[in-house]
Amino acid sequence: MSSTEIGYIRKELPEKIKTIGLTLFVVGTALGIIGFLIDPQRASLSYLVTFMFLVSIGVGSLFLVALEYAVGADWSTPFRRISEFLAAVIPFLIILVIPLLFNLKYIFPWTHKSIVDSSVMLRGKTPYLNVPFFIIRSIGIFLVWWVFYYFIIRNSRKQDTTKDQYLTKKNINISSGFIPVFGLSISAIAFDWMMSLEPNWFSTIFGVYYFSGTVWCALAALTLIVILLNEHGYLHSKIKSEHYYTLGLLMFAFTVFWAYIAFSQYLLIWYADLPDETIWFMHRWVGGWKVVSLAIVFTHFIFPFFYLLSYNVKMQAKKLKFIAIWILCAHFLDLYWLVMPGMSTNGYQYSFSWMDLVFPVAAVGLIILIFKSLSHKYNLLPIGDPKLQRGLDFHL
Amino acid sequence: MNIDYTKELALVEGNPRLADIDEIITRPLTQPPTRKFYIALSISSTALLIGAYSLWLTLYYGIGMWGNNIPVGWAFDITNFVFWIGIGHAGTLISAILFLLRQRWRTGIARFAEGMTIFAVMTAGIFPVIHLGRPWLAGYLIPYPNQHLLWPNFVSPLLWDVFAVSTYFTVSLMFWYMGLIPDFAILRDKTVDKIKKTIYSIFSLGWRHSNRHWRHYEKTYMIMAGLATPLVLSVHTIVSFDFAVSLIPGWHTTIFPPYFVAGAIYSGFAMVMTVLIFVRKVFDMENIITLNHLERMAKVMLLTGSLVAYAYLMEFFIAWYSQVPAEQYDFWARVVGPYRWAWYFMISCNALIPQLIWFKKVRRSVVVLFVISICANIGMWFERFVIIVQSLSRDYLPSSWHMFTPTLVDFGVLTGSFGLFFTLVLLFAKTMPVISIVETKSVLEGSQPSVHGGSHHE
Amino acid sequence: MNENKVLHSVAALFDTPDKIINAARKVKDAGYTMFDVNTSYPVHGMDKAMGLGQSKIGYVTLFFGFAGAVFIFLFMGWSMAINYPYIVGGKPFFPYQAFIPITFEVTVLCGSIATVVGMLAVFFNLPFLSHPIHDSNYIKEVSVDKFGVVIEAEDPLFDKNKVVEFLKNLGAGKIEFIYEPEKQAIKILQPKFIVFLAVVAALTSFSTYFTLNKLMYIVPFNWMDNQKKSNPQSETNFFYDGYAMRTPVEGTVARGFMPYPFHEQALPSEPLANPTLPTKQILKIGQEKFLTFCSPCHGNYAEGVSRLMGQFPPGPTLHSAKIIGYSDGMIYNIITNGQNAMPSYAYQIPREQRWAIIDYIRVLQRAQNPKPSDFQAIKELNKESGKNVVN
Repeated sequence: MSSTEIGYIRKELPEKIKTIGLTLFVVGTALGIIGFLIDPQRASLSYLVTFMFLVSIGVGSLFLVALEYAVGADWSTPFRRISEFLAAVIPFLIILVIPLLFNLKYIFPWTHKSIVDSSVMLRGKTPYLNVPFFIIRSIGIFLVWWVFYYFIIRNSRKQDTTKDQYLTKKNINISSGFIPVFGLSISAIAFDWMMSLEPNWFSTIFGVYYFSGTVWCALAALTLIVILLNEHGYLHSKIKSEHYYTLGLLMFAFTVFWAYIAFSQYLLIWYADLPDETIWFMHRWVGGWKVVSLAIVFTHFIFPFFYLLSYNVKMQAKKLKFIAIWILCAHFLDLYWLVMPGMSTNGYQYSFSWMDLVFPVAAVGLIILIFKSLSHKYNLLPIGDPKLQRGLDFHL
Repeated sequence: MNIDYTKELALVEGNPRLADIDEIITRPLTQPPTRKFYIALSISSTALLIGAYSLWLTLYYGIGMWGNNIPVGWAFDITNFVFWIGIGHAGTLISAILFLLRQRWRTGIARFAEGMTIFAVMTAGIFPVIHLGRPWLAGYLIPYPNQHLLWPNFVSPLLWDVFAVSTYFTVSLMFWYMGLIPDFAILRDKTVDKIKKTIYSIFSLGWRHSNRHWRHYEKTYMIMAGLATPLVLSVHTIVSFDFAVSLIPGWHTTIFPPYFVAGAIYSGFAMVMTVLIFVRKVFDMENIITLNHLERMAKVMLLTGSLVAYAYLMEFFIAWYSQVPAEQYDFWARVVGPYRWAWYFMISCNALIPQLIWFKKVRRSVVVLFVISICANIGMWFERFVIIVQSLSRDYLPSSWHMFTPTLVDFGVLTGSFGLFFTLVLLFAKTMPVISIVETKSVLEGSQPSVHGGSHHE
Repeated sequence: MNENKVLHSVAALFDTPDKIINAARKVKDAGYTMFDVNTSYPVHGMDKAMGLGQSKIGYVTLFFGFAGAVFIFLFMGWSMAINYPYIVGGKPFFPYQAFIPITFEVTVLCGSIATVVGMLAVFFNLPFLSHPIHDSNYIKEVSVDKFGVVIEAEDPLFDKNKVVEFLKNLGAGKIEFIYEPEKQAIKILQPKFIVFLAVVAALTSFSTYFTLNKLMYIVPFNWMDNQKKSNPQSETNFFYDGYAMRTPVEGTVARGFMPYPFHEQALPSEPLANPTLPTKQILKIGQEKFLTFCSPCHGNYAEGVSRLMGQFPPGPTLHSAKIIGYSDGMIYNIITNGQNAMPSYAYQIPREQRWAIIDYIRVLQRAQNPKPSDFQAIKELNKESGKNVVN
């Protein structure tokens, strides 16, 4: 099947996008550096939230790619490339993590000897929670992700020219291998970078909690970009509202899944009422955090749930775009809510800072830049994929 | 084996015509039972009688006939309950979740799995009731204005269970029956026997294949699938709440809800696989329940088995990470304690053996799949045993530690539960279309208008 | 040959899904409204071809699901927090978090029952076994591998010959006329049916009786009813005399059964002392018992005014000098043994209460014959409490 056969006409994205991306990135980065110079402690926590957001987008997108291969889905093949481009954040994570690694003492209470020595519990955890092992784990996981990313994406791109079906088979195998690795590594990242902010607290479901948010966020990013590109004719005329509907349905499913996981965690801790565990929720139920907690319930579940329940919303590009942006913001708020209230364990007083808004700007700029440069080099559709035609013909 | 990814795998092999489908699926209904059927039925009804006798002993003399003691107040009864409820999860998963995910290969196995769901939930429902000790008082669980002027305790997860299991049973039954209505109509139009015709007429409610009906019917099926999907997750979630809201070490851990759900689907698929391997052989349905079906079910088992393994890992890691001595001890006692044999069963059958499914050769060998599915059933039973009995027998207070030894009645009731389930399954296979005629027809090659791309999505 | 029958509809059979879609579209375009397509499985694109819109059944689910959720949530809140408030597991009276699981289950239950029952009974008007289409050759073919269109005679555009012509032009394989079923007079009272009903009634009653009273009837936990013990007033073969009840061993006294040594003596041989003190509590008991047992004959104030209206000899006043002069032990003896027409009260009034009655009698006597010091005491009391007790 050649590109003419499936009717894909390649169009270059306008240069304007690059300018926007570059501006956002440069402004955000510059302000961020200033932030680190003024108040490294506050800046590193703000940075952590954005960093986790990038992890969500990057590895969540790679997971979507792998999932498509592993389960043999065809409806999503036309926009697999978009997820692949978003997954290109993964190689950058190894660089982006460096500012955090130098500021661990501002982030994690367990890096302070005095705090650890004062608590039997924390002393017991030192075999896991110590700086060298922590750095090895994080870098190792990012490297593993990068390796999987490299092979899956390389095969996918190669297929654009060779149209070799064997590459699909190969990617199915790699993807199947990636999924268990992903499950374990995303939990480890969630435990390390977010759960250990309050090192006395523990929850077995925390990895699943972060996973649900990750995939939700990656889906929203995918939906937003697919609709934006398709509206301006960069993708394919056969991509229509029925594809949107399925994306909307998946976002809806993950809204419910997240709510299920979050509620399970909350209910079990609320019911058992053990001080070790409730402290985490107590930190999120003091002062203004009460409002944020309730806002999470509303933005992360109630609103998207009732909005996406409607058949018409899922069929309409404009409404889906709106909810996709909403979901991205809600996931960011969720990460903020996971990270920030834990500051008190490290002996700091929380207050809102302008830096919280600077880093996401830079992150958005970075994603746009990566996307633009990749779309310059590669097709926006996996034109060599044998499942593409089936995906384009997809209907409900 | 080279797969052409530009085409979907054929769902029905051998390219049968529409009329053949009726023939293949209704064959067990029209022919007299074979000798094999009677042998199977006698085995299962013997087991059922053993169970009935044990149940009678339990009811007559009380639950002192079981090995339960203090602190092991929950043992075989609740283990069996959770096990059978778990088995009951595959049916709705296949008929609802796979329907929503547009996995059309479900058509071959959905009806059977739904039937198994209903029988498994019926079997499971026995256990909490006999566990009450005074089963005739079970009515107090229902909130009705009674002479005590009291309402049930809505904060108790055990009451949530009552609501969850009864809702699940009702919804599964409706879902199943709804799917059967058009099939009954087909049978009604086909049969010449007067008695059969009356029965089918009554159950088909006068369905007349009208497209004005199909329009609402398909939408309702979609809605029911949409409702059943969160429902199926909620049922085992609530079962897990029975344990996880308490403070018993080994029970109170936040991963329990998804972990129980994954385990339930795993065991449910294993049971469906076990039974289907038999059925496709006995009733010559290899073209409809193909090797591809078994392979895909094996993949679901691999996924859910691995999720269960993930949960085991998380539990162990967090037990250590939490630095709570009771938790740490409990999980250590699973590995080296007196019930370690149960734990080894559980780990090997649930976490290790399904990993064999990674190999394609294993996935496509019916015999090996059969063995794996049996292992999975054993493993999942032992998982519940480990969670319930081992955790209770090693509580916070070493002075109150006590071992649990099952009695003959315990085993009798367990045997009887299998007897009941398989008797119902066998009778179902002989009296109703075990594969949806309507759905199979609608996915057949050339059964849909060509403007819609031949056979295509729902 | 079918002259007398009323035509219900004209049905046409088609061979392939493509043909039926085309036929449905043409029938719709020709302006027919009362037509239907019958296929043994849903054919995709048929709704569009027939000009049917989206099914509205989802609103039924939404409404009933939501109604169920609101009802059960409020009901749980009402029952746990208002009707019979109690605290469980240290949770507040209104633990809304714990209501979420049941709320969810009831939402699903109400939503799904309403959807399925609504669809079958309201939308489809099922069960409908007497529809003319049943048992026609047409539906038998449709349910196997044919696809059919029916145009009903009720349609405003219906014209038998035109419709047949029209369907033939669409490429119909076979055309069948479907007639309304003949109206049969239903003979409910035919003997066969009555016998059938009687047999069913007898069988049902018998099997219900047998199942409930014989088959399923177990006496649950009957060891509480049949214990190995002897009840009072019953026989036993355990003791040589056959009585289940035993007399106490000679010379022993059962607890609380101290014998009264001056039984049936008008005067106790030795003085008895009152073991109680006239405290407020004791006097209250005494008053209560006096009013219960003594006042009917002796009057409410022991003044000898009987309430018995001459049906029984009235008791004497207890304010006579003779009785004021009796010792406490003497009065006790009279209550215990009885005197003249007064029976013994030993079995009705326990010992302590008899003494309390005596204390109360002393109070009544004193009230009739007060001493000057009593007035002084009352004055002081009035001063303290600020009230006038004795006016």
